[in-house]
Amino acid sequence: MIQGRAPVRFISLRILKSVILTVGWLILTAAISAAESEVIPDTENCLLCHRYPYMGRFDKAGQKRIFYVNEKMFANSVHGRLRCKNCHVGLDTIPHTDVKKVDCSTKCHIKEPSTDREFSHINMVEKYQASVHGQGNGKKPKPFSEDLPTCKSCHNNPMYGSPGGMWGKSEALMNETLARCLGCHTKQQWAEKFFSHFTRRMRQRRSQTEIVALCTGCHENREKMARHGLENIATYKDTFHWTQVKFGFENAPGCISCHVPVGYTTHDIRPRTDPVSPINLANRVNTCSNQGGLQTCHPGATAAFATGRVHAYGAKAQMMAASEDVDTENQDMSLVHQRAHADITAQETYHYKILELIRLFYKVLIGGTIGFMCFHQMLDYLRTRKKHK
Amino acid sequence: MLNRKIALKDEANSGPFVKTGQRYFIRLNKNERAQHIILVICFIVLAVTGFMVKIPEEIVQRFGTSGTAVFYFRGLLHRMAGTIMILVCAYHGCYLLLAPAGRRYLIDMFPKPRDLKDMIFNIFYYLGFKKEPPEFDRFSYKQKIEYFALIAGSTLMSLSGLLLWTEYRWSKFILDIAKIVHGMEAILACLAIIVWHLYEVHLRPHKFPIDNLWITGVIDEEEMKAEHPLHYKRIMDDPELRKIYILGGDQEEVNTPTARQVTMADLPRVS
Repeated sequence: MIQGRAPVRFISLRILKSVILTVGWLILTAAISAAESEVIPDTENCLLCHRYPYMGRFDKAGQKRIFYVNEKMFANSVHGRLRCKNCHVGLDTIPHTDVKKVDCSTKCHIKEPSTDREFSHINMVEKYQASVHGQGNGKKPKPFSEDLPTCKSCHNNPMYGSPGGMWGKSEALMNETLARCLGCHTKQQWAEKFFSHFTRRMRQRRSQTEIVALCTGCHENREKMARHGLENIATYKDTFHWTQVKFGFENAPGCISCHVPVGYTTHDIRPRTDPVSPINLANRVNTCSNQGGLQTCHPGATAAFATGRVHAYGAKAQMMAASEDVDTENQDMSLVHQRAHADITAQETYHYKILELIRLFYKVLIGGTIGFMCFHQMLDYLRTRKKHK
Repeated sequence: MLNRKIALKDEANSGPFVKTGQRYFIRLNKNERAQHIILVICFIVLAVTGFMVKIPEEIVQRFGTSGTAVFYFRGLLHRMAGTIMILVCAYHGCYLLLAPAGRRYLIDMFPKPRDLKDMIFNIFYYLGFKKEPPEFDRFSYKQKIEYFALIAGSTLMSLSGLLLWTEYRWSKFILDIAKIVHGMEAILACLAIIVWHLYEVHLRPHKFPIDNLWITGVIDEEEMKAEHPLHYKRIMDDPELRKIYILGGDQEEVNTPTARQVTMADLPRVS
């Protein structure tokens, strides 16, 4: 009997062990997933589907849409503390036919500490809509409004990184500062988030090259710019400002250095004619000289210097100089032509003509001189070789 | 004592260039050679650091994070070399007016109607219409063209460079002109130096690979007769000029085997 019972006990022990191990494993994974779920409270259970990396489809326009959400990356992003439905309003049916487009002015149920009210980006959105890039105040839609950039044209949902580039790129200093915060704010995750939120605003995150690339995304498109009566970015790329940016020089002036100096916001870029604009002639000396920020450009700028034309002369000056023979049949270009009259003064047209004349003079001079020199030296070479043979 | 040391050093340096028993003619004295060498260094630094701003974006991106340092030192070197070059030019101006050697240089360099005739006849000679080239004086029309191009060029470059350096004081229109002039003049200067000057001292069949004149300052009698016959005649006819332009002073017995060895120490000092 004893001999017969022994294997049974052995088997049951193995089962018991397996059960204990399995339960232990489950508890462990549950604990881990519980810990992770603290990072993103996925109470809406969106990740049930959206955690799969290949989730996506082609929309009607043929554009590839990716619906995958990387849990950890999202948790580390600037919107990591929000729930999906805070921004993606609707989503009550599957498939999501009722979903609305993300509107950044939506209130997102997070308390804004200074007013204790529900937070939203409405302040920025309102400023932006009134700016040169915005849709206007809703009374009269702007022409070709589909060309105008939306929030997402410039903003994605960026990740919080270590605040490198600040305080001489010292990681150690960041650790020390964060450690000081943690002295009082004991919940580490919150403290880290707040620290990242704060330090993120203490430096320019995009390099000047990246900013120029961002603006170039639209402003390089000649047709798109012409629809709005603008010249393309080539007029900027013909300046020494761009040369500095090209080399990645720290103090280099990118687009926002002049169009959004200290005291202005990127969301409120105004046309040159607006008295508030930093590039309005009345505000130029301040813009070029001392901006009160980290950049120092032309500290002693005189009015004569600051009120000059910064971008190089482009299509508009060319049109003004050519005046009569302009192709006004092209409707898009006719708007540029129309704007050229307002933008390019008679004096500037005159200056442009002189500059073109100097350029032409040098082209002829270089061609003539070097041509003669080549001819002369070639003859000399042939003759001297003949003589020394 | 010090002079002796310098003389010894010069003797050592001049070894391969100066042979015993030959008459050498001074084309550039020490001072002029020093001016030339400083100018060469400044010119190269200015050209390299200047044209760096025209490097296309794709290539600049390869500098990566070192771009900032590259750009900073580019600007610094360009300004330093520019300042030194302006100072050398100013010094050269004083030298032309104040030093006797400089005054002779200026008089010999001054353009004359004869130069135009020389140029036309020389081109005729190249084309085979004339059998012999025209006889040149101390400076041929080629050298005069180059010299005055250098003066005009460096004046415009200095002026436009200084305007761009102190940009905040001037109106944008003046700066726009300065920018075009500085860029275009740079292209002209570099091409002219390559085609005109570098050909003349490096590529001419009997000068290849390099004419040592810029180091030694002297040419031998044969070359002097061939290239500057008029000046040669002038020197040989005038005992004063013999003292100035013949290395080691006027030695009647120079062609005899007992001729004294001429050395670099014999080069005239700036008086």
